[in-house]
Amino acid sequence: MSLRAKQIIIAILGFIFLLSLVFVQWVEVTRKQEEAGLTAHHVAVPMTSRQCVECHAKSSPGIIDHWKGSTHAVKGVGCVECHKAAPVDVDAFAHYGHTIATVVTPRDCGHCHQNEHKEFERSHHAKAGNILASLDNRLAEIVEGFREDVTDEEGNVIESLTRFNPHSPTPGMAIDTVNGMASVNVGCKQCHGSKVALEGTDGSLITVEQLKPDATGKPTNPDAVALIKHDASGRPVLSPSSWPNTGIGRLNLDGSLGSCSACHSRHDFSPRRARQPENCGKCHLGPDHPQKEIYEESKHGVAFRDLKEHMNLDAKDWVLGRDYTQAPTCASCHMSANMLNGEKITHDPGERLSWTNRPPVSAVMDTDINGKVVKETDPVKRREMVTSTWQDKRQNMQQVCLHCHTQNYVNSFYKQYDDFVVNYNEKFAKPGQAIMGALTSNELISKAQFDDEIEWTWFYLWHHEGRRARHGASMMAPDYAHWHGMYEVAERFYQELIPQAREIAEHGAAAGRGEQAEAVLAVIDEILARPEHKWFEKNKIKFTGDHAAVHEEIADGPDKTETAASDSTAPAADEEASEAAKSDSDVSDSDSSSGSSDTSSSTP
Amino acid sequence: MSRIAEWLAERVPVSGAQLHELTNEPVPNHLKRWWFCLGGTPAYLFVVQIITGILLAFYYQPSATTAYDSIAYITDHASYGWFIRSMHKWAATFMIAAVILHQMRVYFTGAYRRPREINWLIGMCLLMCTLLIGFTGYSLAFEQLSYWGATVAANISDAVPVAGRFAKQMLLGGDSYNERTLSRFYILHAAVLPATMILLIAIHIMFIRLHGVSELQAEEESDDAPRHFNFFPDHLLTEITIGLVLMILLSAISTIFPVMMGPKADPLTTPEVIKPEWWFYVSFRWLKLFSLSFAVLSTGFIVGAMFLWPWIDGALRKITGKEEISVYIGIVATLLLVGLTVWEAVVTH
Repeated sequence: MSLRAKQIIIAILGFIFLLSLVFVQWVEVTRKQEEAGLTAHHVAVPMTSRQCVECHAKSSPGIIDHWKGSTHAVKGVGCVECHKAAPVDVDAFAHYGHTIATVVTPRDCGHCHQNEHKEFERSHHAKAGNILASLDNRLAEIVEGFREDVTDEEGNVIESLTRFNPHSPTPGMAIDTVNGMASVNVGCKQCHGSKVALEGTDGSLITVEQLKPDATGKPTNPDAVALIKHDASGRPVLSPSSWPNTGIGRLNLDGSLGSCSACHSRHDFSPRRARQPENCGKCHLGPDHPQKEIYEESKHGVAFRDLKEHMNLDAKDWVLGRDYTQAPTCASCHMSANMLNGEKITHDPGERLSWTNRPPVSAVMDTDINGKVVKETDPVKRREMVTSTWQDKRQNMQQVCLHCHTQNYVNSFYKQYDDFVVNYNEKFAKPGQAIMGALTSNELISKAQFDDEIEWTWFYLWHHEGRRARHGASMMAPDYAHWHGMYEVAERFYQELIPQAREIAEHGAAAGRGEQAEAVLAVIDEILARPEHKWFEKNKIKFTGDHAAVHEEIADGPDKTETAASDSTAPAADEEASEAAKSDSDVSDSDSSSGSSDTSSSTP
Repeated sequence: MSRIAEWLAERVPVSGAQLHELTNEPVPNHLKRWWFCLGGTPAYLFVVQIITGILLAFYYQPSATTAYDSIAYITDHASYGWFIRSMHKWAATFMIAAVILHQMRVYFTGAYRRPREINWLIGMCLLMCTLLIGFTGYSLAFEQLSYWGATVAANISDAVPVAGRFAKQMLLGGDSYNERTLSRFYILHAAVLPATMILLIAIHIMFIRLHGVSELQAEEESDDAPRHFNFFPDHLLTEITIGLVLMILLSAISTIFPVMMGPKADPLTTPEVIKPEWWFYVSFRWLKLFSLSFAVLSTGFIVGAMFLWPWIDGALRKITGKEEISVYIGIVATLLLVGLTVWEAVVTH
């Protein structure tokens, strides 16, 4: 072999070696940059959005910066791709040569993310806006704010007045009237979603209700469209009572439900953020459903705080069992993919819930074709209606659990949880509901909500304490299950709901409504006679007698008063004294203290 | 002036002519082409490593509790610390690449053949030292991957029959990575191996001086043309040029791709992907292809064969009668090296 041939061989092999070395180093450097979190990904600004990016980089640099950090920016999805609108869209306007809309709806996102859109649409999240006519909303609109319904002679609401007149000036600020719905707009709707509204030229609000969009989202009511007010630049005016809003059940002008940016913060749409519990904590916290706090108290939350940096939160698919196993977040259990479910993500968190703990009485999550919980009690009819059983959903959740727990462990956890929920349902929730029902049907309290003290009591019991207890049990937070939960439920039930119900009945009886009062007291007595409630009044010392006589005794002298006082406060009265007190109560009259009266006391 | 020269000549009795003779190795003509002059680059880079290494050693603290933080200090706070550290890391990569290229040239031109077999052995020892110094240096970083890389390497060593367990214990200072392990790596990396290498390089160069550079005669050269040129200044100029280009390349790459801090070593959490530095990719991939004991034994066999290659080559030539048998084997070996390295680089597991 000639020297020249050897030279060529060395040159070729050396070149191949060096080339491979450059490649290997490139792979290494990229890997280490990723490891150090320094990967500055390539941003591809599409031609159509170049002008938007240039201009908004000056006018609103945050938006552009956020977008540049998104996967959209890497994949060439720019401003126009999401904000573009058809000229017939009611909120469309011309903007530097493009027809765009301000509000991006799930229908818009669904053009690319079809599956996610479908799953989300059937979820309970998408229906969160339905609260707008609920009890909670009445609380925020009327009790906390101002709404006065003007009705016709038949009682139909013809107009709702919501402008609130301040009673005194605010120094330094000229205020005419304010929106009486402020608490709803800033509170309820920011989680539940607003009904997006455009202002009308006649001062009315134009929403999806007036526009009646068809299946494609285009409005079918030209009269409503003609009423839409436009500003000087020709842009339809979004009512500040409904926008800005990223509530998860937003009712959009195109008829779609929800807002993807509720969880996927707009413009950067960070999957990393959506995977963390803080993201859900915008809404799932507080006295009525402290899921975030409950999670933090649980072993799951404790492990997450400790091991967050090892959780691979930037992984592409973030599959439990492959990308991480350190701890679950809200997303891990309720939405994200895992190894045991074939790496399937869902945007319907209800797919993994076997109980709904939202209503006063928990129900199993047997759902119909529309994803609604089936309330039918007849077994045959029920079976026909149910398309997805609570067992299916529990199995979905158990696939998550089984990554870290054995089947025995999981089964026993669910046994504890089921027992707890049924205990709450049967001991407090259904009885509470029965008592409230009896009071309303016997017209001892009005049908209007929150005008009677007992309605607040009942609301606290199920809406706050009852949910805390059940959520605490569902996510293994013992303090929420007990002290913030069942303890307070019990205290509210025995010390407030029962005494208040009896007092109302007694007042009713005193006012000549003996029959109705008796019906209510019969319900209470039947409940308290049940084995689980027997303890409550079994040994209770009851005081009866003529109040006037007691006053006289007090006036007579200190000796007698002392005796009376020591008797009345004795906490550990013996059996005999207790029995005597009971027999006394049998002959008590309507003047006796409300807490100790029984049915006979209601007879005037 | 002359008095000073006299004073010096008395105490250092080397004449100018002797000095000229000593330094002015007759250089074969083929070294007029710069690409034949790369044998000096590993030595050049070795000097860079010694200088940057001393600067890094001012700050580095070899213990499990302080190592990572001291490197973080070098990287984030010490003046030009990031640059010195990057130079050190990239020079290591360059040095290993240069050693491999140098060895390829020696191999394909048959420069290891009689009478230069011993210098080939010394070169092989230098190669082993270079790989070992690279490994111990990487382990000093006490990052997740370097920690687990060292642990895996120790376990591999354990699989070597007879001496494996002892080697592992000597390397780690116990049966597993412990608080005394880093100081062992440090002493090996900063004292034992450099000293050994200086000694070996000196012997390596001494043998080159004794034998002369093996001469390659191109076809177009006539036999009666002068076959050598002077080391000084002609060849030195080429070497300085190569050195300067190398320094520009090294400092540019260190600035553009500075070394970063990986996650700190966590003995309780095994990373999902464990990778050694790139120069072990080939053996790491080899390990994954076969059972541990086969891979370890075969690696030992290959390394042994490399050491004894001048004699194996001789035997093969005798048996097959083919003069260039080693070239074909070399082509296969190089392609295997490149292939396995790239393969390991692109896969995550």
